Amino acid sequence: MTTEAQTAIEIPFYSPQGNEESLFEHAYKNQLPILLKGPTGSGKTRFISHMAARLNIPLHTVSCHDDLTASDLVGRYLIGDGQTIWNDGPLTRAVRDGGICYLDEVVEARKDTTVVIHPLTDDRRILPIDRTGETLHAPDNFMLVISYNPGYQSMMKGLKPSTRQRFISMSFNYLKSAQEQAVVEKETGIDALMAKKLVSMANALRQLKDHDLEEGASTRLLVYTARLIKSGFDPVEACLAGLIEPLSDEDDVVSALMEVVYASFGR
Amino acid sequence: MEEHVGQLWDKLITSVSDRSYKDAMITLADINKPLGIFFRALGGDGGLRIVESVATQHYAKRNWKHCVAGTGKYIELSWQDEETLHLPKQISVFPDAQLNKDLYYWLAAINAQCLENPSAVQRGLQGWFTYSQTLTREVLQRFPGLQSRYDRLVSAYLPTRYIDEDFNEQQQAQENAIARALQEPGSINQLPTSQHAPKSVILWPHPNPPEVIDISSKKKQQQNEEDEDEDEGQSSSKSKKNKKQNKRRNAERVDMPDDQSGFFAYRFDTIFGWSEFVNVDRMTDEDEDADQDSADKNADDMDFLSVARDSKSKGGKVKFDLDLPADSEDEVIFESDVMLPEWDYKKQILQPDYCSVVNYVNTASDKGELPERLRRTAKKLRQQLEALTTKRIWHRHQSEGSELDLDAYINYMGERFSGHKVEQPDLYQQLRSSERDLSCLLLADFSLSTDTWLSNDARIIDVIRDSLFLFSESLRNTGDQFSIYGFSSRNRGHIRFNTLKTFQESYNGMVRSRIQAIKPGFYTRMGAAIRYASAKLELQDTQQRLLLILTDGKPNDLDRYEGRYGIEDTRRAIHEARVKGLQTFCITIDDQGGEYLPHIFGNNGFTIIRKPEHLPQKLPILYANLTTNPG
Repeated sequence: MTTEAQTAIEIPFYSPQGNEESLFEHAYKNQLPILLKGPTGSGKTRFISHMAARLNIPLHTVSCHDDLTASDLVGRYLIGDGQTIWNDGPLTRAVRDGGICYLDEVVEARKDTTVVIHPLTDDRRILPIDRTGETLHAPDNFMLVISYNPGYQSMMKGLKPSTRQRFISMSFNYLKSAQEQAVVEKETGIDALMAKKLVSMANALRQLKDHDLEEGASTRLLVYTARLIKSGFDPVEACLAGLIEPLSDEDDVVSALMEVVYASFGR
Repeated sequence: MEEHVGQLWDKLITSVSDRSYKDAMITLADINKPLGIFFRALGGDGGLRIVESVATQHYAKRNWKHCVAGTGKYIELSWQDEETLHLPKQISVFPDAQLNKDLYYWLAAINAQCLENPSAVQRGLQGWFTYSQTLTREVLQRFPGLQSRYDRLVSAYLPTRYIDEDFNEQQQAQENAIARALQEPGSINQLPTSQHAPKSVILWPHPNPPEVIDISSKKKQQQNEEDEDEDEGQSSSKSKKNKKQNKRRNAERVDMPDDQSGFFAYRFDTIFGWSEFVNVDRMTDEDEDADQDSADKNADDMDFLSVARDSKSKGGKVKFDLDLPADSEDEVIFESDVMLPEWDYKKQILQPDYCSVVNYVNTASDKGELPERLRRTAKKLRQQLEALTTKRIWHRHQSEGSELDLDAYINYMGERFSGHKVEQPDLYQQLRSSERDLSCLLLADFSLSTDTWLSNDARIIDVIRDSLFLFSESLRNTGDQFSIYGFSSRNRGHIRFNTLKTFQESYNGMVRSRIQAIKPGFYTRMGAAIRYASAKLELQDTQQRLLLILTDGKPNDLDRYEGRYGIEDTRRAIHEARVKGLQTFCITIDDQGGEYLPHIFGNNGFTIIRKPEHLPQKLPILYANLTTNPG
């Protein structure tokens, strides 16, 4: 689990796909929890940091893993100096201080985490802490955001309908070519021609989703690849390392995907 | 002796006229998979199967060596139709294997572009000349990296056009135009006319792709529509034939000649060739391989296959109907006339209330026993599965356990130190298997094709029956909820959904005798069955819901539900199930499944079991792997 509380200094770059910024603001105003869904690397996390900075509220990010329990979120007693000290978990901290608590890839977490999330998502907006006997009421500027990746064939994991139905949901997808190209240019400072090549290649790879690949190339991978190229690494090799190898472990698939790379960069 | 000389001569002249490089040959079978991925990545339709194209006749003048040898009449080019992308079976045009391979990739690229820009496709020689250039330009524009490869191919290819050729002036002008069009696509609009058609260009798509021409009269069509049952037997046997062969033949659909007269030709002075539709009954007995082979050979030798609809019904039909299980009295209907939609990929619409499903259960005795021969395997599997499925974790806050629960202890001490008066909580932890929150619906294919004998003493249906037994035996102790259904169909109005075990029932003698009683019947309308099953599974309130499909072949039914139509509908049904949050997985014993299953279930959404005999043992293990290793 990694947590970070971030306060806004500089607003991170975000290029909106639609009305998500205004939807988020309205949800924040009305104290509604939000569920973000979309494929890996399509900008969910970036969107949240952007919005937190824009609304000027702190952001508490929790990356969920499959061993994350409710007490990891809420907090636990620690021993120190012959006494025990209650130590707030990230969720409790967010509820006390206000701000956005962002649970990334929430389906990965243990099932018991939903128990502590549920009372925060309805109009009670409370966080009962069994161990200390406290019941925290979330302040007005507290907002719960969770994200998950529905396309991801994390074979046996999904969100329960009873959890899903507690959130305003927004869907993220890969950007349109021109916009994605602009994002890659802006993020990495790479020249327009190269950015265009990369984006058209990524779009080619995305056509293979559900058929040959589990997931298409993400914008994040594109940015990484562009950074490698920008710093002087050979473009074809950069694509192999940054775009192709992360997508598949099968040799013949990798070699077929490399043909797609050659189709863009020549051989 | 004469025959021997003839053979020698044939060998010699064929080798002289043959200008290909066998050493550098690349076959489609070698690179089918990566080529398919490449084709789809460049925008090709994921639903197309890649098949070897049949050599088609070209109309260009042949050089003298070809004329003498009687070869070179046919050329393998690439083209696509609704269901398939046709590529040459092998390419050996260039002495360098890499170039031959590049040519394959180029053909895949240009065919993918064909799809992106269908408006460019025109008929006629001029049309072909211009649209091939347009396509080439578009491909190179979209994928500039292909340029160097294309240039290499063109410069290697152009000289081969001149080998053994002696062009006249008109032809030379054509050749020049083609060369320019290849070197600078889009630079030339007009193909000079000549009395001969130009030589085919191997880098371009087929100028006049063979089509299945339907010239049946209206009257016939109407008659066919009225009498849908009539052609059921034929269409299904036709699809059966196509399935086994990865090669498509030129064919046309023609009228059945009405008159009784045969073909008659009488002429003294010349021997001439003539081909016309002659009513020949090419009967084959499918069980006899030799017969089938000779029929295949005949088909290969024909320039063109003509297929007609006979107005007479087949004699075998009577037998066919008798084979079908009658609606037996021991069936109890649970639900009937459940209307379900079906996806029409051509129109891209979901046809509402298109299929009708009957859900029934066989009344059976409640004393069903597990067959003796399966007992040992069942026991072994049960143990194996228990070890596999139960992921052990620490259970905290237990009143007794192997370890002290430090967390609980600290909390307790903390509370005590801070002055709270609390009772001592449960301070132990125990390593135990965790509870799983999973339900699984197993949907098995009971179509007639499962009636096939695998060996002397087992049919596919027997293997499926054993699998169902072992699956249930293995799962009964894991605590996972499961249900078992089977399906078969006869047209859209009659989809039979056989309930073997519902989620509510426990696995008992009744269920066992139901499994014992399963029998094959009818066809495989998979989409409707999946929709119905996912509606059932959706009601389960567990975190994980798995739809496991067990089948022996492609979706197909008597009507148009075959080939691409069936595959697209099934794909759609699977997509709908996934949107509902269900996980789907397909287990098939169809060797050819690799061709179409990725399109339906995704690359990791299925598995092919090569030896059906292994299915009973493998199914529970597969299930265990599916449910314990997420991701």
